Amino acid sequence: MTTKSLNSVFLNSTFSNARFAGVFIMLLLLSGCARNPVLLQSTYQTLPPHAEITSVPFYAQTEFQCGPATLAMVLNHQDVETDVEQLIPQVFLPERDGSVQPEMLATVRRYDQLAYPIRGTMDALLGHLAAGDPVAVMQNLSLPIYPMWHYAVAIGYDLPSETLILRSGEIERHTMSFSRFDATWARTERWGFVVAEPGTLPAGITARNALEAISAYEETNGPRAALSSWQSFSEHHPTNAIGQFALGNALYADQQPEEARKAFERAAELDASMGAAWLNLGLLLLQQEEPVAARKALEQAASLAGSWQEKARLAIESMNTQ
Amino acid sequence: MKTLRAYLSTLLIAALVITSLPVAAAPTAPQTIDLVSTQSVLSADRAGADRERINEVLARADVQDQLLKQGVDLDEVDARVAALSDSEAKQMADQLEMMPAGAGGGVIGALFAVFIILLITDILGLTDVYPFTR
Repeated sequence: MTTKSLNSVFLNSTFSNARFAGVFIMLLLLSGCARNPVLLQSTYQTLPPHAEITSVPFYAQTEFQCGPATLAMVLNHQDVETDVEQLIPQVFLPERDGSVQPEMLATVRRYDQLAYPIRGTMDALLGHLAAGDPVAVMQNLSLPIYPMWHYAVAIGYDLPSETLILRSGEIERHTMSFSRFDATWARTERWGFVVAEPGTLPAGITARNALEAISAYEETNGPRAALSSWQSFSEHHPTNAIGQFALGNALYADQQPEEARKAFERAAELDASMGAAWLNLGLLLLQQEEPVAARKALEQAASLAGSWQEKARLAIESMNTQ
Repeated sequence: MKTLRAYLSTLLIAALVITSLPVAAAPTAPQTIDLVSTQSVLSADRAGADRERINEVLARADVQDQLLKQGVDLDEVDARVAALSDSEAKQMADQLEMMPAGAGGGVIGALFAVFIILLITDILGLTDVYPFTR
């Protein structure tokens, strides 16, 4: 062996040593990040140690169809008749080899169900599972630089072993440690949703998420279809002014003007600065031929700066010219 | 496209102005009155309501184009656009290109280095790419 080649062997071995050390350091650094997600003490105290919604059917995904498969599972669980074949043209984007979040929610509404985004915490996720609602979740199974976006259905958990149970991909009962799941879930900002029929509001959904979800349903399915959901919302959040306002609109569309008026009154009472509530109350009173009360409400609306000020002023002017 | 957009915007502005006039000009109470909708209150944080409506109509046209480009069937496109709420349509129009699309396919044709890194992160419990690591 020549000195030259000896040298190169020596060099190679130092290089590989250095590389090994590098990998080793990286491993140490990375393992430092793999922490267990900390659950609230109240989660341990209030939730049963084990929950699994075994009635959720399983559809193995084919190719890139985890979006349609996920929807088929959560919709069938709601007794909605559909299957992957029917869902593919409704939610799949061929050029992207996948499905995007807004269309996942929109497709649920096409089956007359509501899609409620959940609060993005492990505690909220487990809470929904304990309450019997499977949660459709989005994960990035890989790293942000080389993403592998994926939809799955969380169906249960086991607190003592800190394990989550999912229907995922081609695996009917995929178990995953809380920490691994949370690492993959955190990369989608912990996005997930539950499906519910009109008139039911799953516990644990934030008021804002519920408002947006019911409002979106109302947009595509009409206010009368949304009425029962608004009623359920205002039972859960009786002091939410926008909820009362929305209920008023749905009641009016359902030809219950008396009830609508009461709802608008409650909305204006709960939030006296809500111009839209005063305006709708005023317009409704005007139609009910109560000019004195109508004028009072419209003047309130006109005194509040905002998008509805102008409409209130016009209504008052037309009252004056009458 | 730009001129088409400008033309469309003007048309829409005119249409909205005209349709909003009769409300102000009709003193007699009609059968159903035009109440402020829940959706417009929820989107009140965003800029002026009429402008917003114009943007939303344009957004839907945009989304339709984009969905067609992404390979969605012609006879499905209308139903898919109609299923979106206004804010979802806007979101899609603004950022469909950037949006993550859940696919869940395996890592096919990944570089060897990527394979090794993901293998390590899988073993460490940070990712869930290879089923054989569990």
